[in-house]
Amino acid sequence: MSYFADSLSAAIHLIASFDQALYEVVFNSISISLIAAVIAGVLAIPAGIIMALNQFVGKQLIQHILNTLMAMPTVLIGLLLYGLLSRLGPLGHLELLYTPTAIIMAEAILIFPIMMNLAIAAVTAADPRLIPTLKSLGAKSTTLTIQVAKQTRFIMLAAIITGFGRAIGEVGAAMMVGGNIEGYTRTMTTAIALETSKGEFEVGLALGLLLLLIAFLVNFILSCLQRAKT
Amino acid sequence: MSSAYQLDNIKVFYQQTCSLDLPQLTIPHQQCIALLGDNGAGKSTLLNLLAFLNRPSQGQIQLSGQTIKSDLSRQQRRTIGYVNQQPFLLTGTVSDNIDLALKLQGMPTAERPQRIADALDRVNLSHLAKQTATTLSGGELKRAAIARAIAHDPAILLLDEPFSHLDQGHIRQLETIIEQLAAQKDKTIIFSTHDRLQGAALADTTINLIKGKITKSPLLNVFHGHLDQHLFDTGNIKIHTTSQQRASHIAIDPHEIIISNDVLASSMRNHFTGRLIAIAEEAGTIHLTIDCGERFFAIISPDALEDLGLSIGKPICLSFKSTAVSIF
Repeated sequence: MSYFADSLSAAIHLIASFDQALYEVVFNSISISLIAAVIAGVLAIPAGIIMALNQFVGKQLIQHILNTLMAMPTVLIGLLLYGLLSRLGPLGHLELLYTPTAIIMAEAILIFPIMMNLAIAAVTAADPRLIPTLKSLGAKSTTLTIQVAKQTRFIMLAAIITGFGRAIGEVGAAMMVGGNIEGYTRTMTTAIALETSKGEFEVGLALGLLLLLIAFLVNFILSCLQRAKT
Repeated sequence: MSSAYQLDNIKVFYQQTCSLDLPQLTIPHQQCIALLGDNGAGKSTLLNLLAFLNRPSQGQIQLSGQTIKSDLSRQQRRTIGYVNQQPFLLTGTVSDNIDLALKLQGMPTAERPQRIADALDRVNLSHLAKQTATTLSGGELKRAAIARAIAHDPAILLLDEPFSHLDQGHIRQLETIIEQLAAQKDKTIIFSTHDRLQGAALADTTINLIKGKITKSPLLNVFHGHLDQHLFDTGNIKIHTTSQQRASHIAIDPHEIIISNDVLASSMRNHFTGRLIAIAEEAGTIHLTIDCGERFFAIISPDALEDLGLSIGKPICLSFKSTAVSIF
């Protein structure tokens, strides 16, 4: 009990003293996840809206694939991306393995299906008069997609925040393609795994508490958006 | 001059049921037209086709002489203004809604403020320009939606049940707006309503719809049943007709119904005895409702009412020719 209490006390001290090494990992983690969420959002939200607005052959199949990808283990994404980015892989010449870009790619791939499904759900759940109204006002294809995104913006923003929350908590793929290099590709989750294995439990606990705080803030923003929408 | 719309062999199927069946329909330019019919008659389905929001299951539609096979061009879309039965205003103010509509129609930014002001002025809503659209009352919402639809000055205005769910004050306001728009004589206005008298009063022409089909008969004395050897069986009474074709509906023009105190000896094939259950005066004529197993609606003059000495509950006879029966 004393071990846990002492570690917790040390962890709080680390947080309160604004330990530079600790916050470097936190900011690195936030920036990587934020970039991944924005990139995935920019691609997934229009894709989701376009898919929801149109009927085409294979739509059902794409929906099944999206649902499958949502359940895909993160280490599998890491493994596939590792194969693509490693020196002998087809994208090896880009020399992206063990860089923040590789982690951003992995996290974006991970959250893309989640965001696209949320975008599809947002359009499907929108007022049934929205699309006919926009069409009757002259919106078509691109303008229709933009206007639907604007009218459902709170849900779309919630989709990006949900994606960010999922990305920042990811560990498997980040470890495989990032390599957990200190001051470069070390994220909160990979640092927690490393520090705990090294016996630096208090550092892992401090990062865990900060991760929990970020998760709380993400959920707080989501509930604010929900209130704003209603 | 080409017509505003020309519809040929239109059929719309909804879950394998034919909800609209129009072999041919021509809607001329610059007329005010009322689509009349009960709920489920196909009024909204037809208006959605005319607004090109839905495509028919089969058949073709011409807009101002041009056959539309896919989406409307921006130029074609600009000719149509559409107001849904329950209008949906987008987020933002009333002005924002009209501004977006003008923007989507490709109206230059500099022209928009004046267009917005004009449109709001025409529906007497200028004072609510900056009000959040979601806070409008039912009547204000419909007027705002009409302003949004007319802001770009379309040649055709489609209004789906504009008077539904409104109090008398708001209905009167909307009627005035439609009358003013129709008075410009440069617009084709098509509106749907289930109120036959309101439709007839506002429109130059009426189109009667029953179960997805157009009928020339007024939507009165409409009976459902089956026809067998010139005899139409409603389940309660049998009515003589001159037709042998398959039909599930008949209608009898109320002006063709003769009212008498006793059964008339005449060439008329249909005679029924019933009870008078309602008398109403409307625009100088007397409207009678008679229960003969089915409810009939007849129109007589005030003098006839006095001569016959009619009163509620009194047994009376009604007669009409088999040729007065429309079949569809």
